[in-house]
Amino acid sequence: MSAQVKIGFIALNDAALIVVAEALGFYASEGLEVTLSREANWSNIRDKVSYGLLDGAHMLATLPLSRGLGLGPTLGHIIAPMALGANGNSVVVSSRLKAVFEDQGAASLLESARALRQVIQLRRSVGEGPITLAMPFTYSPHHFVLRHWLAAGGIDPDRQVQWVVLPPSRMADALRDGVIDGFCSGSPWPQMAELKGDGQVLFSDPDFWTLKPEKVLGLRGVWAEENPETVQGLVKALLRAAQWASEAGNQTELANILARDVYVGAPVEAVQKALSEGGAGLVLDAQTATFPWLSHAKWFMGQFVRWGLTSEAHDFDAIARSVYRPDLWRQAAGEIGLSLPLSDEKDEGGHPQSWSLAAKPTDILMPPNRLFDGGLFRSVPAEPA
Amino acid sequence: MNVLIIDPDDARAALVAEGIRADAAHREAVIHHWPRFELMRLKDINPDMVIIACESPDRDTLDALQIANEQAPRPVAMFVDRHDANTTSRALEAGVAAYVVDGYAPNRVASILTVAAERFKLMQGLRTELDKAKSDLVARKTIDRAKGVLMTSRGVSEDEAYKLMRKHAMDTGRSMAAVAGDILSIAGLLKSGEN
Repeated sequence: MSAQVKIGFIALNDAALIVVAEALGFYASEGLEVTLSREANWSNIRDKVSYGLLDGAHMLATLPLSRGLGLGPTLGHIIAPMALGANGNSVVVSSRLKAVFEDQGAASLLESARALRQVIQLRRSVGEGPITLAMPFTYSPHHFVLRHWLAAGGIDPDRQVQWVVLPPSRMADALRDGVIDGFCSGSPWPQMAELKGDGQVLFSDPDFWTLKPEKVLGLRGVWAEENPETVQGLVKALLRAAQWASEAGNQTELANILARDVYVGAPVEAVQKALSEGGAGLVLDAQTATFPWLSHAKWFMGQFVRWGLTSEAHDFDAIARSVYRPDLWRQAAGEIGLSLPLSDEKDEGGHPQSWSLAAKPTDILMPPNRLFDGGLFRSVPAEPA
Repeated sequence: MNVLIIDPDDARAALVAEGIRADAAHREAVIHHWPRFELMRLKDINPDMVIIACESPDRDTLDALQIANEQAPRPVAMFVDRHDANTTSRALEAGVAAYVVDGYAPNRVASILTVAAERFKLMQGLRTELDKAKSDLVARKTIDRAKGVLMTSRGVSEDEAYKLMRKHAMDTGRSMAAVAGDILSIAGLLKSGEN
């Protein structure tokens, strides 16, 4: 008898593993009968997983963590046994703003943030309104990327910027109509905005952080505890989907699957544009982009604190361990022959080149891990000399 | 009592409004309907309660107000006890969520949310019936046309043509409409071959 599982997703390219596993039968190979449910917003995903209407979902990495920090509706714990890849978002600004940056030769993120600071000051001096930026959800990596970028240029994100939460489907229109000056969204929305001429991509995730954590598989804690074998099957199916999706020869088919009406439902050229070189930098590699690093969880929680969304009075290590579950990843990944990292945390940033990660049976060659501002986030205490 | 319904489906919103007013306790309710959420206009209405279709992409914009502003409507799930969690759960299952201004009478919230969920389900039922009626009509037309093809090609009566198709459907374990569809497509193929 096959186990029945209900999984929700949002129409974004980074739902790739979840939809590919259905389209190519990876769930069925693990003996799972998975029903996918495309949801119109993140609040639905949060609530339906909380109330057991869904067993799990494609989630912003910050969503289960916000729950762990006691933010938002309080029903139920959510665990994350794997990441669904890395990167995939882009920041889009109005053509007017982009022209200002280009005039000033502001090519890097640091330069564009500094140029934006001047725009804000100029606007204030002539009595124009503040800069308005849109994000899809308050507790989102998008929000933290935008704030980190602004702050690097000397902008106070709380006082000098107006924030609005908008569905990605409405962001391009708001930008075109001058309601907002820019937005951060998952692909293919930034590429669609660009193709329609509503705005221009300023930077994408890898420009900010070469291997930025973004989405996770979020599972209802109680359900996961009661169905350990199904959880293993699910993670294995998604890891196999990741192995398939990161093969160079499968990229055209990947774009075609994603573009289908029942999945992302977007023009294939926009999906393709985001996936191709110079696009949104989505990495789907099973070995290097799906491990649920506790250091990712802690980096995100650090952002919650930094921006005043929560207090410092939490046991962040305990929350990270109860939400992110590298033990479940190792169990599933070991069965399909992946190398298993020896540690649960690593330095985030500080690797401008590829580097070797200690793992068994063999070490893993990791892609560069570098933040645009050269920052290094270290949650593990340094080994005594 | 001021209720705002956000639903891209006009007919369903009307059904929900009618359901709320049908309850004597809410006869005086002022009900507004917006097909989509407009943040700038929220102050004009100042609702006690917002009912929103889950399929509305704007739900996250509304949801974010609880973080940004203490006075904004909060999701019901934030303060109800386990008993009311059932109401919320049933509503989500029917495709509707609700937000209330903090402190608003929980019993009234629960009764309105229950009504909204019932009306959402009712609409779903009506739509399913309508879809079925439409597809039944299409199937009947297909069967009638296939019958016509059989009558001309095999020179049989209408009744015999119908029996032939029914027997084939039973033998092959398929629907009459599927068999009729095959006959029509094969007839089309033969016809184009003649040209």
